[in-house]
Amino acid sequence: MKNIDLNSKIALLKGLGLGSDGEYVLDLDGNKFLDRYIDIPIKVENMVILPGSVIVLDDNILSLSHYMEEFPDVL
Amino acid sequence: MSSDPLESIAKGATKGTLEWSSDFIKKLIVKFQDHKLKFIRDEENIEIAKEQYNSGELQIYRYYIEDKEKLMILRMGLVLRKLENKGEREKKQELREDIMKKYKIQGLHVAQFVENGILNRYIGILLDDISSIEDFKEKINDIIENIEKYVVFVKGIDSERSTLDLCLRITTSNLSMIFIVSGMGSAAETIKNIEERLIVLLKDYELEKMSKGDKENLFFKRILKND
Repeated sequence: MKNIDLNSKIALLKGLGLGSDGEYVLDLDGNKFLDRYIDIPIKVENMVILPGSVIVLDDNILSLSHYMEEFPDVL
Repeated sequence: MSSDPLESIAKGATKGTLEWSSDFIKKLIVKFQDHKLKFIRDEENIEIAKEQYNSGELQIYRYYIEDKEKLMILRMGLVLRKLENKGEREKKQELREDIMKKYKIQGLHVAQFVENGILNRYIGILLDDISSIEDFKEKINDIIENIEKYVVFVKGIDSERSTLDLCLRITTSNLSMIFIVSGMGSAAETIKNIEERLIVLLKDYELEKMSKGDKENLFFKRILKND
């Protein structure tokens, strides 16, 4: 993800039904999209996109650990 | 780089391009949905999380603790220990902040309790005097739910006087089998300074020190009387 440029990341987010203001991931209403496990806004530079109905998360150990609990066979 | 752009992305070998078409993005999304593609930022974070998920210590905790939230906090305690041992101070601090956001100060204290090896020491003490598995489970769950009744987490700003008062207040209102005074950095110095006075105050307990680096943990174990 580090290697992919910002515009491509934003295009991908749009394909997933999300958006970005260039810094944060936004939802369809333009609100900051929150990490589903720890309720923090996700910066585009820190986001990870993981399988499981396509999940966008902040790249932190706590969220990734929660994801592993919910989807134990994916990572 | 592979000539197949999807394959290049899967290998992390692309920088992306403004020319990603909507069809191409749709293909990427299908790959996500089929579990054939994931976009990750820091492989190390995933590896650390995975390692603790599979750790033997966590398997033991799973045997005694069923609540998923408690288990996650214990797991984060193991990760904090791992990050400490690897010298990953920045990541450790970030994780402490995330634990605090999600589980409040009590959750962070439980994670520290695991990080410092105190939970394992407590389990060892319980095993010395085990009456039933159910009783054992109850005691472990109780200390996780009521950590503040068993452990004083000293902060750098706490004075010796206030720390002593708090220790006395907790040990007189809660006759627990163990009592711990824990701190790091300047708080560890405060603990060292009050150690002798605590030994006098807590005369029904015997002291076992669990100190490492800039951390000070005074582990007081209640003396069982034969009467």
